[in-house]
Amino acid sequence: MSESTSANTAKPSSSVKLVLLGEAAVGKSSLVLRFVNNDFQENKEPTIGAAFLTQKCSLPTRTIKFEIWDTAGQERFASLAPMYYRNAQAALVVYDVTKPSSLTKAKHWVAELQRQASPGIVIALVGNKLDLTNDANEAAGEAQPEAEHESSPADGDEATEETQEEPDVSNGDARKVPTREASAYAEEEGLLFFETSAKTGHNVVDVFTAIANAIPESSLKSGRGAGAGTGQTSLSGGRPAEDSRVNLGERGAATAKEGCAC
Amino acid sequence: MLPSHHRNGVTSGYAVGCNNLWHWAGPVSPSTNVLHVDRNPYYGGAEAAFSLQEAEEWANRVNNETGDHPFEDASVRLGDGSPEVGTQLSASRAYTLSLSPQLIYARSQLLPTLVSSKVHRQLEFQAVGSWWIHRPGDSGDKRLYRVPGSREDIFADDMISVKSKRTLMRFIRHIGPSQLGADEAEGEGSSLQEDVGDASLTEYLTSKFKVPDELHAPLLSLCLSQVSPQQTSAQFAVTRIKRHLASLGVYGPGFGSLAVKWGGGSEISQVGCRALAVGGGVYVLNTGINSLDLPAEDTTNEDSRIQLLLSNDEVIKTKFVVGSNWDFPKAARLSCDCDRVARSISVVSSSLESLFPATAEGGPVPVGAVVAFPGASLGRADDSPPVYILVHSSETGESPTGQCVLYGSINMPGSDGQALINSAVQQLLESAGGPNAKVLWSLRYTQWGRGETRSAQPAISAERVIRLPPPSLDLAFDDALIDTVKDVWQAIMGDEATDHEFMTFEDREGAYEE
Repeated sequence: MSESTSANTAKPSSSVKLVLLGEAAVGKSSLVLRFVNNDFQENKEPTIGAAFLTQKCSLPTRTIKFEIWDTAGQERFASLAPMYYRNAQAALVVYDVTKPSSLTKAKHWVAELQRQASPGIVIALVGNKLDLTNDANEAAGEAQPEAEHESSPADGDEATEETQEEPDVSNGDARKVPTREASAYAEEEGLLFFETSAKTGHNVVDVFTAIANAIPESSLKSGRGAGAGTGQTSLSGGRPAEDSRVNLGERGAATAKEGCAC
Repeated sequence: MLPSHHRNGVTSGYAVGCNNLWHWAGPVSPSTNVLHVDRNPYYGGAEAAFSLQEAEEWANRVNNETGDHPFEDASVRLGDGSPEVGTQLSASRAYTLSLSPQLIYARSQLLPTLVSSKVHRQLEFQAVGSWWIHRPGDSGDKRLYRVPGSREDIFADDMISVKSKRTLMRFIRHIGPSQLGADEAEGEGSSLQEDVGDASLTEYLTSKFKVPDELHAPLLSLCLSQVSPQQTSAQFAVTRIKRHLASLGVYGPGFGSLAVKWGGGSEISQVGCRALAVGGGVYVLNTGINSLDLPAEDTTNEDSRIQLLLSNDEVIKTKFVVGSNWDFPKAARLSCDCDRVARSISVVSSSLESLFPATAEGGPVPVGAVVAFPGASLGRADDSPPVYILVHSSETGESPTGQCVLYGSINMPGSDGQALINSAVQQLLESAGGPNAKVLWSLRYTQWGRGETRSAQPAISAERVIRLPPPSLDLAFDDALIDTVKDVWQAIMGDEATDHEFMTFEDREGAYEE
């Protein structure tokens, strides 16, 4: 599942587990579908059918291979299983800019991540369905912000910038969550913040690029963590030689003679 | 509130399952909706894994809800009362203590099943390396001996006499694939039966191979038999020793069995729940079944579904109900035909490194070890059952670095069994733990389940109420479980069931590209 160097480039490549969270029908899977396949389905059914998807994100100095875990609807009637959060290095917490209750729910998920996930997890708060607001057109002209990101997970500056650029609710559009409200919350909690449209593709790649940039190099390069709770290591590249992992795909490799049963 | 098609019965088929093995069969077919309700607020049921705090909550729950769980008499102890214990224990969430630390043999049918259902990609497998046996009365501190688990080990062993090695090799050659069929799964049952008859392991080893007495207990430990050698049937033992030998080297040199990182069965159960969700099933925690009404006798009635009242006051109509006895409402439970064993989970302040030697060059670092304490080695009669301790290093993710988790088990419920486990834990720490090793925290409990001799067949009634057998008490994953799940799946799928579709889940297009 991980690789230290990709075959046709010298850039180091690392896998990053990213989990999706957010209220049902805010567009979690649509965001991923846009990012992975550059596709959008208007009346998408609730998510079934994929445990996780993968997509590479190429940065100037390295390639990040996202392993994107969808909730598969498990968030509806139960808390997500502990394994969902385990070793997640990034999370996308999504709300719907036309539905205030979904931001409340997003805050709940952020709290859950802070409780359950690895301490260094990079969290991006994403307000989706920007196409349903009047900001949709103006937003198209925005500068691409990801180049400014260094490795700071708290990205308050950029969020503030966006707030200033965009007017709040006007002209009776469908927006119900002011950008300022969500970005202020994101800044307070040290989250990356974006408003996106999975439908038009606006800002979608930017979210993932920003996350890729925000993940500290150390957490990609470091070896195994010191025991339980440190997380982040089993999916990363550059694992030390002394490893305890057994790969089921290697069945038969060492079995010319089956032990001593000759 | 459940989705409308579950409340109103719009679609044609339903199945309600409550047991953790059942969710694997979750994505049964597009025409069948699966609702999985779980009375507990946590995943995994009898196979769950817990932080320290969750384990305490679980112990209270088990004691307060007598009869609702296949467990009883749970108690948590904090170390030995000394003040430094408190400071050595890490935060609650630094631990993942498993109710199902079973090892999985490389030849288990579980592994191909996890691969065909593609959930293995969400699991991390590790090696269980050495088997150890406790031998009292020998000189010095060294009371744990490594069981020679392979032919190479036997050659290299310096404790066994040349003569004994010869008898052992004859035995191993005899039960090897060339003698008793190449594949241990099928085909050689009758010849094995003819070969061993009704003999016990002791009789078989003595009369047929003249294997000396002192090697009986080590061989018993390779079977993970939970009774003494005299009470272990040779047929059972030979099958299990064959499995042990045939599993060596399958996934790499130096080991034949696996542990699942982060809590064993708990992880498998969680990926199963996820597979169910991915397949379109609905999983609801913290919701049990309060009552179950079978359809009226009148079979001409279109609506011949079972009506369930859930603990959240919702009413569900379903074609099938699947669950273990403990999942059904009290009035619908049957008397439990169960065995009981004493078990304990101990967090210890030592990495017990000597128990995890590298077993082969180039092999993975073992994270698990099996330590067997024959009844006699703990001062009991020869026919007293052995204590087994599965030792998991911190590499399993179950404890912080520098500590280990000991999973103790004995086929003797209650305080007698707990006393023997405790004695075994103390012996283990004295032998392998270093001067300051001690138990920092422990959980003791009695578990109900299915012993080696009981049937794993599900009970499928005409009313389409399907009762799963009690959970296996085996220390290795019991492959019978897979047949159980398959039987249930076939009962529900009826004519739609075809063997090659069982547990074979397709990826969504582009879901797993390089």
